Amino acid sequence: MFMKTFEEKWTAWLDDELSESERAEFEAALEDRAAAEAEKNRARKLGALLKEQLQPRAMGNEDFFHHQLRERIERETAPPAARPTPALRETWWSIRRLLWLGATSLAVFAVCTFFVVREQPAPNQSEYLTQILNSRVDPGEGPDATVSIFQTKDDRVTVLWVDGLKSLPSEYATK
Amino acid sequence: MPRRLFSALLGLVFLLAASEKARAGENVWSGLVVATNVAKPEPPPAEMHRFEGTLKRTFGYNQFALIGQSRKALQNGEENWLAASKHFSLHVDARGALRDGYRLNLQLFQDRHVLLETDATLTKSSPLVIKGPQVGAGQLLLLLIVQ
Repeated sequence: MFMKTFEEKWTAWLDDELSESERAEFEAALEDRAAAEAEKNRARKLGALLKEQLQPRAMGNEDFFHHQLRERIERETAPPAARPTPALRETWWSIRRLLWLGATSLAVFAVCTFFVVREQPAPNQSEYLTQILNSRVDPGEGPDATVSIFQTKDDRVTVLWVDGLKSLPSEYATK
Repeated sequence: MPRRLFSALLGLVFLLAASEKARAGENVWSGLVVATNVAKPEPPPAEMHRFEGTLKRTFGYNQFALIGQSRKALQNGEENWLAASKHFSLHVDARGALRDGYRLNLQLFQDRHVLLETDATLTKSSPLVIKGPQVGAGQLLLLLIVQ
């Protein structure tokens, strides 16, 4: 054991931490016992005052702060991989839906076009008949030639009837 | 379901393409025919079967002999061709496609002389018959049919 200095013994005496024999020996060594006891009383009062004034203030919402604290600790101690990643923003216009929409639009367009074209008013019947726009007969071959046009009713044959052409011998009928 | 939809669309496209191709691939048959009256008439060319009765009633002959013909497959309606016999030739100059046929310029030649020239619109549903000159005891007829 090391020998205690006077200051150590004095501090221990003020705090009543000396054993009986040490306390008796220390008090016997004091030159002014009354002054020392007064100093001891002041030190005790000062300690009591400090204990009273330095008490931590009681928290009114202790549970809330504990909860916040626990959450923060958990957040900071969680491994990076375990942290929840923010969800990707989902949109209604996915590629699959866009393809569907495009294909459906094309189909609707095709169907509408089909019905519109089919329900067009029938063109004038003359558009489906062969028509003679004009005709010319060589004056040298038939100076008195006449031309008439008509259509047969049953099978829509258009006839250009030319009269007045010169008659030709039968050998012109050869292939 | 999407596969069915795409298949239906593809089918529609092929159908439209096929109809356009068929329209572009039409033939025009041109014939030089000599109509006569004989005791035992021979059957007319196959191209004339459909309206043989009309020809008989209209022109008063019972036999239609083919002396020259041409069949032209039209691609764009701008082609020209010739149907010829020994002395006659029919020059056809197509001048564009119409809704149901073609616009044509026709020239009937007797040897090297133009006997007749005409402009006409020839449609698929309506054959064209031109009465030409008298040849012997018969009649020259020019026929044009879109097939």
